[in-house]
Amino acid sequence: MKTNSTDAPAAVVFRDVVKVYNDRVTALDHVSFEITRGATVALLGPNGAGKSTAIDTMLGLRTPTSGQVRVLGMTPSAAVAAGKIGGMVQTGGLPENAKVSELVGLFRQLYRDRRSLRELLRLAGITDIADRRADQLSGGQTQRVRFALALAGKPELLFLDEPTASLDVEARRDFWRSVRAIAEQGTTVLFATHYLDEADANASRIIVASHGRVLADGTPAQIKAYTSVRTVRFTTSEPDTSALLRLPGVGDVSARDGVVTIRTADADATLPALYAFGRPVLGLEVGGGGLEEALLALTSDDRLDAGARVAGRSGQSASSPTDDPASLMTKAG
Amino acid sequence: MIAFLRFELVRTLRNVRFLVMLIAFPVLIYLIYAKQHGTSQGLTVATLLLVSMAVYSGMGSAMFASGPQLARERQNGWMRQLRISPISTRGWFAAKLVQAILMIIPGLAVLMVLALSYGHVHLAAGRLGELAVVLVLGAIPFCTLGLVIGLMFDSQTAQVAQMITLLVLAFLGGIFIQWSNLPHGMQVIGKLLPSYHLAQLGWDAAAGHALAMSDVAALAAWTAGLGLIAAWRWRNESTTA
Repeated sequence: MKTNSTDAPAAVVFRDVVKVYNDRVTALDHVSFEITRGATVALLGPNGAGKSTAIDTMLGLRTPTSGQVRVLGMTPSAAVAAGKIGGMVQTGGLPENAKVSELVGLFRQLYRDRRSLRELLRLAGITDIADRRADQLSGGQTQRVRFALALAGKPELLFLDEPTASLDVEARRDFWRSVRAIAEQGTTVLFATHYLDEADANASRIIVASHGRVLADGTPAQIKAYTSVRTVRFTTSEPDTSALLRLPGVGDVSARDGVVTIRTADADATLPALYAFGRPVLGLEVGGGGLEEALLALTSDDRLDAGARVAGRSGQSASSPTDDPASLMTKAG
Repeated sequence: MIAFLRFELVRTLRNVRFLVMLIAFPVLIYLIYAKQHGTSQGLTVATLLLVSMAVYSGMGSAMFASGPQLARERQNGWMRQLRISPISTRGWFAAKLVQAILMIIPGLAVLMVLALSYGHVHLAAGRLGELAVVLVLGAIPFCTLGLVIGLMFDSQTAQVAQMITLLVLAFLGGIFIQWSNLPHGMQVIGKLLPSYHLAQLGWDAAAGHALAMSDVAALAAWTAGLGLIAAWRWRNESTTA
């Protein structure tokens, strides 16, 4: 992770941010996180997770209902006005009757610090369509032009909201190559995606969100540690959840109708300890989980607290001392 | 702002068909009626009609410079793309205003040339200059009106809303029909409209009369009011859209 300056303010600070639409829909539910300069961070989650709302808020396109948002130590609108951030928003479009080169040329001129036209066309892979009319492009071409617009002002901070949505496989690979090149120049990148592989391959940190809440936050390795998490299920009489929680490797325990579900980061250590526990263990099942499955479980039900959500079971439930899902990953990793 | 203005002008000029259509209607009306004999308000028909058609053309050009296109580009996301660039709201409004004002000039020029040649209108250079300045500056409220329509309506209704507004302004403002021939109720409404006041200023300038400050004040009030509505819509959209 590169840092431009040790005492420079964080690239993004989200402090207890809430966004409610029309007094009904909660898009962001007390979200807090901080992004250091030079990082490449993925915001991963299903549709409706609040990813776009979060990015729009950082770009000053929306104002939070409550909470604080700072971008490069400024308010989002001040950072936009200073020409320090670039963005590709999901609903961004192109104007009528303009050529691609004119459009990219315009955006260059709006910034004080700028990339050359040739470099922008090359980075976005649109050199061959520079003379085409911007309102007559395919979805993928439009997407790439918007990428060029986002890069025009040599932004310190780049926001990309589902940037590869309409790109084919080859264009997607070229796109990420350009993003990595820009990140290597010291630009902080925050991108939203619902593709896990994209987050894993391109980010130094992944924030998993669902229904407006942060469910997990860590390095790709930590997030992927979910793959080693196993679900152990068995039947017993009078389950003592708090005692079970102290078994090695256990992240959380839930019990319902005598069926106990344990999530463990280390099933090999948990199982012998479980049998040594002195209670009958009947009908034992050990379930595995791929990363997708783990994330699916993470994001499937957010009425439960973070720990119980991982187990995906309601009912009587006990969690690790902290509800921070990262603690699970720390154990797992 | 200069870069943005140039960009806006280039893409407007590319849309030649649109520009021609804007001018065609008032020019056609002028060609049909300018040869009629008679005088009114101390002006020949050819001169009277020059002012009417120039006002109509100016209103239309000013409004269509932004209105429906702005509505479309709000909907397709171009405005969001611009909002995350460093261009300021003030810079954007200023560029749009200048663009709209510049859009008025081709129609006005064509009508004036036509009036001097085909219509045999005789106006001293000074008076012609004064008329041109009045017609261009007087169209500013209609530039803001176009912005308001573009900011208030979606892409499908903006076009219709704009057409209806333009026709109401033209008829009740006494441009297509003499204001004194309107029913009383409509006269009352018409006298409140900016089109009425712009036409009065135009005819006064053409006849060499002093310009009435009440007309100027009315146009200024319309500009301020519409400007406030546009600013309010803009801010509202940026926080809730």
